[in-house]
Amino acid sequence: MTVDPNAATQGFPSPPPDHHRPSAARYLVPALVAAAVAVALGVYGKVHDPAGTAFNLAGFSSTGAVKSWLATVAIFFALVQFTSALMMYGKLPGPSWSSTLHRWSGRAAFLVAVPVAVHCLYALGYQTYETRVFWHSLLGCFFFGAFSAKMLLLRSERLPHWLLPIVGGLVFAALTIIWLTSALWFFRTFGVTT
Amino acid sequence: MKRSGPLLTLLAGLLVGLFMLSLNATTGEKKTSASVEESPSPKASPPPTTRSPSPSPSPSKSPIPNADYAGRTDDDSSAVAVSLRDGRAIAYFCDGRDKESWLKGDVEDDGSMKLTGKGGAELNGTLKQGKRISGTVDIGGGHYTFTADKAIKPSGLYRATATVRSAKFDGGWIVLKDGTQVGILTKNGKPSPAPEIDPATGAVTVDGEQLTARPVTP
Repeated sequence: MTVDPNAATQGFPSPPPDHHRPSAARYLVPALVAAAVAVALGVYGKVHDPAGTAFNLAGFSSTGAVKSWLATVAIFFALVQFTSALMMYGKLPGPSWSSTLHRWSGRAAFLVAVPVAVHCLYALGYQTYETRVFWHSLLGCFFFGAFSAKMLLLRSERLPHWLLPIVGGLVFAALTIIWLTSALWFFRTFGVTT
Repeated sequence: MKRSGPLLTLLAGLLVGLFMLSLNATTGEKKTSASVEESPSPKASPPPTTRSPSPSPSPSKSPIPNADYAGRTDDDSSAVAVSLRDGRAIAYFCDGRDKESWLKGDVEDDGSMKLTGKGGAELNGTLKQGKRISGTVDIGGGHYTFTADKAIKPSGLYRATATVRSAKFDGGWIVLKDGTQVGILTKNGKPSPAPEIDPATGAVTVDGEQLTARPVTP
């Protein structure tokens, strides 16, 4: 920002609107996109008639097993995320490539989670018949919204320093609860099976 | 200032999602689904390739429409449900206590069918105007006549098979159009009245575990 010394006294009231708009958009756009993603997923899951079936992968006894293992892979990468984030913020000693690790483990976790969500929404839908299922459905939609927001926020600079950790933490917490209410439940119910 | 990496990540996720969705839409309909294993019995289970995911363009070998039928025996003691797909039928006879049978067979072009099940169980039925199936069931020395009207979701025929902590469960449910359910849950080969399923989702709690009953197709 350049400041004209001659205009300094009267310049003060007028710039804020100019500078305020982009900065508000910085938060508003990710927030709106996040809400739109989460609501759209939920509405799709609720409105469309769950197919009940979907294709399965060879070598697995059921799609439930496939999803549980994919979700477990996602959780593993999420733990890498958490650790590498602590390294990036200097809370843990870490290598110089910890931010690369953070970036790519995040991508991996996200891409592994997508097929699981597609199957959930396509075959099972948004359901509320049980506490576990309700929270799983709700947070599943929330997760993809929050993740979208996190990705979009990364594109702006000069964010408040606490914002990314908070949003990242939300994403991580959501994914953890999603895993606890699905894969862990599956493994406990049906055994650790492929 | 603008980094494109995060956007590419989102885009890749979107593409993967759409790709999976299109896979589901084209190849779905044939595999087991979450938390339920396909019933162990059907050696008559067809090779997946004979199944067409979309009803319209495939050369339909049968004029019999795909539909489900559910009703009671005339003596009101038991329920019968029949599911028709591509000229094949699977039926379930169930008294809700200890007598049940799964029957399979083909549907003739004139709508008549003769389905057979374990232990010599036999169902002879005729589809009338695509609206109802009436006929007889012979099972365990008993002879029943029945009429099953066309069933609209959520009424119909459901099954859940699962192994929970080394106990084998096999449950069958007929949901009638008034919402009543007739079902038997067999645990390690021992039949008993089944707990009710949530017809909207198929969810049912068995021995404290959550199972999901799925619509049955031949």
